[in-house]
Amino acid sequence: MANVKYISASRVYAKDTPPAVDALDLDINDGEFMVLVGPSGSGKTTALRMLAGLEPLDGGRVEIGGRDVTFVPPKDRDIAMVFQNYALYPQKTVAENMGFALKMQRVPRADRDRRVREAARLLDLDDQLLDRKPKQLSGGQRQRVAMGRAIVREPQVFLMDEPLSNLDAKLRVQTRSQIAELQRRLGVTTVYVTHDQVEAMTMGNRVAVLTGGHLQQCATPRELYDNPVNQFVAGFIGSPAMNLQAVPLAEGGARLAGGMLPLPAAVRTAALKARLSELVIGIRPEHLHLTNGSPDADGPQQPRATDGSWELSGEVMLVEELGADALLHVRLADGGDPVVARAEGRKPPAPGQRVTFRVSPDDVFAFHPETGARLAG
Amino acid sequence: MAVVEGVAAPAPKVRLRPRGVSRREQWQRRLPLLPALIYIIVVTQIPFVVTLWYSFQNYFFDIPGGAHFTGLSNYTTVFTNAAFRASLVRSVVMTASSVIVAMILGMAFALLLDRKFLGRGVVRTLIITPFLVMPAAAALVWAGPMLDPNFGLLNYLLTPFGVHHVAWLSTHALGSVIVVMIWQWTPFMTLIVLAGLQGQPADTLEAAKVDGAGALATFRELTLPHLRPYIELGILLGSIYLVNAFDAVRLMTNGGPGTATTNLPFYLYQQVNYAFDVGGAAAAGVVTVILTIIVATFALRMFARVFQFDEAAG
Repeated sequence: MANVKYISASRVYAKDTPPAVDALDLDINDGEFMVLVGPSGSGKTTALRMLAGLEPLDGGRVEIGGRDVTFVPPKDRDIAMVFQNYALYPQKTVAENMGFALKMQRVPRADRDRRVREAARLLDLDDQLLDRKPKQLSGGQRQRVAMGRAIVREPQVFLMDEPLSNLDAKLRVQTRSQIAELQRRLGVTTVYVTHDQVEAMTMGNRVAVLTGGHLQQCATPRELYDNPVNQFVAGFIGSPAMNLQAVPLAEGGARLAGGMLPLPAAVRTAALKARLSELVIGIRPEHLHLTNGSPDADGPQQPRATDGSWELSGEVMLVEELGADALLHVRLADGGDPVVARAEGRKPPAPGQRVTFRVSPDDVFAFHPETGARLAG
Repeated sequence: MAVVEGVAAPAPKVRLRPRGVSRREQWQRRLPLLPALIYIIVVTQIPFVVTLWYSFQNYFFDIPGGAHFTGLSNYTTVFTNAAFRASLVRSVVMTASSVIVAMILGMAFALLLDRKFLGRGVVRTLIITPFLVMPAAAALVWAGPMLDPNFGLLNYLLTPFGVHHVAWLSTHALGSVIVVMIWQWTPFMTLIVLAGLQGQPADTLEAAKVDGAGALATFRELTLPHLRPYIELGILLGSIYLVNAFDAVRLMTNGGPGTATTNLPFYLYQQVNYAFDVGGAAAAGVVTVILTIIVATFALRMFARVFQFDEAAG
């Protein structure tokens, strides 16, 4: 077990192209479950492969347990990796697959068998499966064998490259919690790559959000959700995604849906300092609270002085029923992109109905329209 | 949480049958194949039937009176003839040694070619050329410019090492013929093994690296088992072709010196063209064909089993 450090680590695939990973600085604590998340092409897998030693570094360093491993071949890094397509050895049985690393370490056969069986038990793999070839297994079983191959090693670091992406939705959710639970039990430092922000949020102790080879933010899931540092993180974390809209600035606030959205003084100051005439505001779907009272059809929305929240209204275009709740696609009074709101599932408004939402000013994020940086609020 | 399985309604028991294809339509589909089929029958099956018929006849070109039935006496001669047995053994030695060495070399070349380097395309094409040269031309080039005792390239190249005027085709006849066969068949083996290597998933090799396997261990534990069906295919096809090798023997050594390089095809050729023994040659030919069929069937069956196993596993 060990901590992992990326020190301005870079990887350039081809000359004259932007780096796949650009000066990545990341500290992963001993025993931590760190999730690298980002859209495809964000450099998350490359970053993982750099740690595995499968991808050379074009700059910077990588350390495992305080040891500089930048030029150490993969086999000497004491890591175990779970690949996206599992990469099981097709000609070997399950037991041979799991015990391969130990065989390479010249662990005696009896010892090897014992450890393979222990790992199999840990993963609920039947003993009779141990003699099968990978192709005779189901997708879920193969995934567990791939996990088993990593566990048997008792390595310093687990690396997992989208290990759940080949499972069906139900199995994915189930396995997600099993992996997180297993990691907590084993206490091995884990770096986990995924493009699925739900996986990232539910599994990681901390989550590093990457895009375009740059680290955007590395924080706990809660912190990412509550305090995204920029528009990208805000839009990426959370499902359904945050509603982001460019709005013109006006005296004392921003103009939205025919009304005036009051902005905190700090945001106004920051916007003024940057000489912005408009900014991007973001509101999460779950922060648009449906009010029962419908306002006058064409009445202007006004902030309610009483509790500081304000209201905005629009027409429901589409309702997506999810069971527990429903997603409303609402066109606001002034047109523009529809916003998505989360409503209680039992009695959602029908399409065509006019609705009013109440929003607390604390739940409104403001971003710089060009840089995407969060305007302090 | 309990999982409620979806309850599927029992499927109605309707037998699915492929839509009927009329006899006429079936023939229309086969029609384009017919010319090829007729050609194959004319050039292979009819001669074989004729050979079979001759094998029961006493028929010498140089003895007047034509053919007459002798029963199994030609076959008795074949099985008691030491020359036939000797050429059978020679055929086996020739085929086995050239196929095995060609496979080992082919594997080595394939491993070297299975990486990116400047001019890979050119090198690959050059490697393949010996296979594209027709066997008779290859035999002539080797017999003359390469192995000639006085003017041969090989002797010239070996001069600095104290080798002078070796008459390769007289002193090392069998070896020389085998070398030419290896030279011709190594590219074929290279191609087949290279195809196998390129079919090996890259991520398992990466997994092996992470699992701590060095290059040698990776080859022994993963690459070789993966290549097994490809190696078997190469050996099978190579054997089927090389057991029929005639060009190199006829053009380089003419079966000699003595009978040093007389393999089965050349023995049959001699029986007809030097001994004029049509009946004996036919009987020997039939025995050869039967032996070849037995070996090929076993090889193919083993081969099919390997592939089926792979598919059952897949």
